[in-house]
Amino acid sequence: MLEIKPQQAAPAATPKGTDRIRVLSVIVEDGPNTLTKVSGVIRRRGFHVRGFSVGPSRQPGRSRITLEIDHGHAEADQVRKQLERLVEVLEVEDLTGDPMHSRELVVATVAASDLDALLKKGARILSTASDGTTVEFSGDGDEVSDFVHELARHGIVDVVRSGPVVMRRTE
Amino acid sequence: MVLEALEREGVEYIFGYPGGANLPIYQHLHEHPKLKHILVRHEQGAAHMADGYARASGKPGVVFATSGPGALNLVTGLCTAYMDSVPMIAITGQVNSTQVGRDAFQESDVIGATSSVTKHSYLVTKIDQLPRVIHEAFHIATTGRPGPVLIDICKDVQQADAERVTPEFLEIPGYKLNGHVDLGHAHQAARALAAAERPVILAGHGVLLSHAEHELRQFAEAAAAPVGTTLLGIGAFPVKHPLSLHMTGFMGTGWCLKAVQNADVLMMVGMRVDDRVTAKLSEFAPNAKTFIHIDIDGSEMGKNVRPHIELVADARLALEAMLPHVGALNADRGKWLAQIDAWREEHPLRYKHSNGQLQPQDVLIDMYRRARSEAIVVADVGQNQIWAALWWNYDRPGLFINSGGSGTMGFALPAAIGAKFGRPDLPVWCVAGEGGFVMTAQELSVAVEHKLDVKIVLLNNFSLGMVRQFQDDFYGGVRSQVDLTHMPDFVKLCEAYGLPALRVEKFEDIAPSFDAAERTKGPFLIDFRIDPEANVYPIVPLGKGLNEFREAPEYA
Ligand SMILES: Cc1ncc(C[n+]2csc(CCOP(=O)(O)OP(=O)(O)O)c2C)c(N)n1
Ligand SMILES: [Mg+2]
Repeated sequence: MLEIKPQQAAPAATPKGTDRIRVLSVIVEDGPNTLTKVSGVIRRRGFHVRGFSVGPSRQPGRSRITLEIDHGHAEADQVRKQLERLVEVLEVEDLTGDPMHSRELVVATVAASDLDALLKKGARILSTASDGTTVEFSGDGDEVSDFVHELARHGIVDVVRSGPVVMRRTE
Repeated sequence: MVLEALEREGVEYIFGYPGGANLPIYQHLHEHPKLKHILVRHEQGAAHMADGYARASGKPGVVFATSGPGALNLVTGLCTAYMDSVPMIAITGQVNSTQVGRDAFQESDVIGATSSVTKHSYLVTKIDQLPRVIHEAFHIATTGRPGPVLIDICKDVQQADAERVTPEFLEIPGYKLNGHVDLGHAHQAARALAAAERPVILAGHGVLLSHAEHELRQFAEAAAAPVGTTLLGIGAFPVKHPLSLHMTGFMGTGWCLKAVQNADVLMMVGMRVDDRVTAKLSEFAPNAKTFIHIDIDGSEMGKNVRPHIELVADARLALEAMLPHVGALNADRGKWLAQIDAWREEHPLRYKHSNGQLQPQDVLIDMYRRARSEAIVVADVGQNQIWAALWWNYDRPGLFINSGGSGTMGFALPAAIGAKFGRPDLPVWCVAGEGGFVMTAQELSVAVEHKLDVKIVLLNNFSLGMVRQFQDDFYGGVRSQVDLTHMPDFVKLCEAYGLPALRVEKFEDIAPSFDAAERTKGPFLIDFRIDPEANVYPIVPLGKGLNEFREAPEYA
């Protein structure tokens, strides 16, 4: 499976100070081997996954993968080029450095009953149970990291966080 | 279904080995007399045979193996083909689709195990996928940058009956071919070379794969630019041509390496520019102000050396597009070519003739004298490989076959067998060290069974010679685990396999032994007991720049 490093202080979609990160939006053919092939290329070429998400695309039978990849010692454009060689890969768009919307989702259950600070940040309550309240929040990487920071002060029972989805921003 | 599809693709030979998971295919083999199946003795042998067949004939090689151990025995052969861009189709049996994932008998994740050594692979779990998959596989294996494609077919699919459908057109949206040449870049590249003071062209396997030898020669002559080839590019440019630099890389000729290191414009055509070509990367071609890189695989651009001008295209089309733009040359070209001639004089290929021991070069020179350019040489890996590369004057493409990218010992014998199936009209010589030879020697049975005219030249130095040389030169002279004194008596071994063989220990016996080999129909082996201290020169010490090549000592 993919080597996805858990990140406490998650970097923003285009982390500052790390120009080795590429942000790629990839359209792939659905199939039993697709994920193996994509992750195989990433591992074999010495790249590292920093963020990953996958979901259906607009066309049936095709999915969109959003990748944040550290290209390691390789030339920056190698990530795109190597992915493009895969027959399962239909399209690779490199969004690194471009204006974009990059969104991540976090879902958390907190023990505290006073949720004002979270709600002020834009959290939405999903459910309330005996062990705490479950909220969701979405934002760019920095916002989500700030939010997670805030969560810590509310007694985290459980928290899950998604990888990013990105879209080029048109002005 | 599988066999019909192969017939439709024009397959002539299949190199294979049966087992539980591909029995349904074998059951019907006899109904397809056009498909000639060669039963190998080990699946690795099948992959190398298909590889040799493909390199010699230009047609894709086809391999069959069963699931689990059968398929996994192909891995080294697939990797060898993948690294050298050889078109191949491997069809492996897989357990029933309902059993996949249950650790069934002889189940293994073949796609997982081979995806990094194949251009593409398929797992077929439904019969209706099969015709399309096979047709696509041939297309992908043979077009663009060629490579091996694996098709893993579940056993129940092999048995299923379905309507016979002929796939008509191909639609593979994720498979992009780089056909067209950027004319602006072609123009720029041609002018850069013409305007250079010290141009050098390096040619790789891609030139052979795209049949661009003629265009390369025309272009080099028009630009008066000298040409070196990579190990796999041998044959792309005639060694005897006045502009030839022979072979480049860390065991290349001294005059080629000097030319590369002094070039102001370096054009690299159809090659990956790997570490065996560049040696220490930061010291590769330090005087080159302009790097031009032509390759059909865009991911090669900048992978190792960042080009100033890049052409992602078929080598032949690119050179064709460049030729008209060469125009007037830099007037000083004569000086550069004279300099190269001086280096050629100063750093010739040389070896020790006179210590009373049999020298490998003596063997190869005699062989070349007989065969000229009318034979295919398939070399193994090690010292024997480099001697075979340097001491023949290959002046046509396709005459030298070896495992360059993967360096797979044991390649030569099965690949030579495959090459003979692919080009029955040409004599085929297998040059191997004794170490590599015994790794796949069981395939001698195939040569005997099919009375194949494959002549085996064993350069027997009683050691893992190349490793021994590295240990002597670069690892403190500590000889560790390289001694091969305990090897079979090769003449007796051949007798056991049923082919004639000779042992040669003296210079005077070289010619008579080759006479005997040439007189004999069918396979023949000569065990040349060569100087165990013979070394490969020139050689660039590991981790050093190309200009630091070491030469053979001068012998009296
Ligand atoms: C399968 C495999 N194992 C190990 C090596 C490393 N290796 C490269 S050359 C060599 C020595 C080869 O010895 P031999 O076949 O006798 O050829 P020689 O160099 O003596 O001509 C070895 C062990 C290799 N290339 N391939
Ligand atoms: Mg040896």
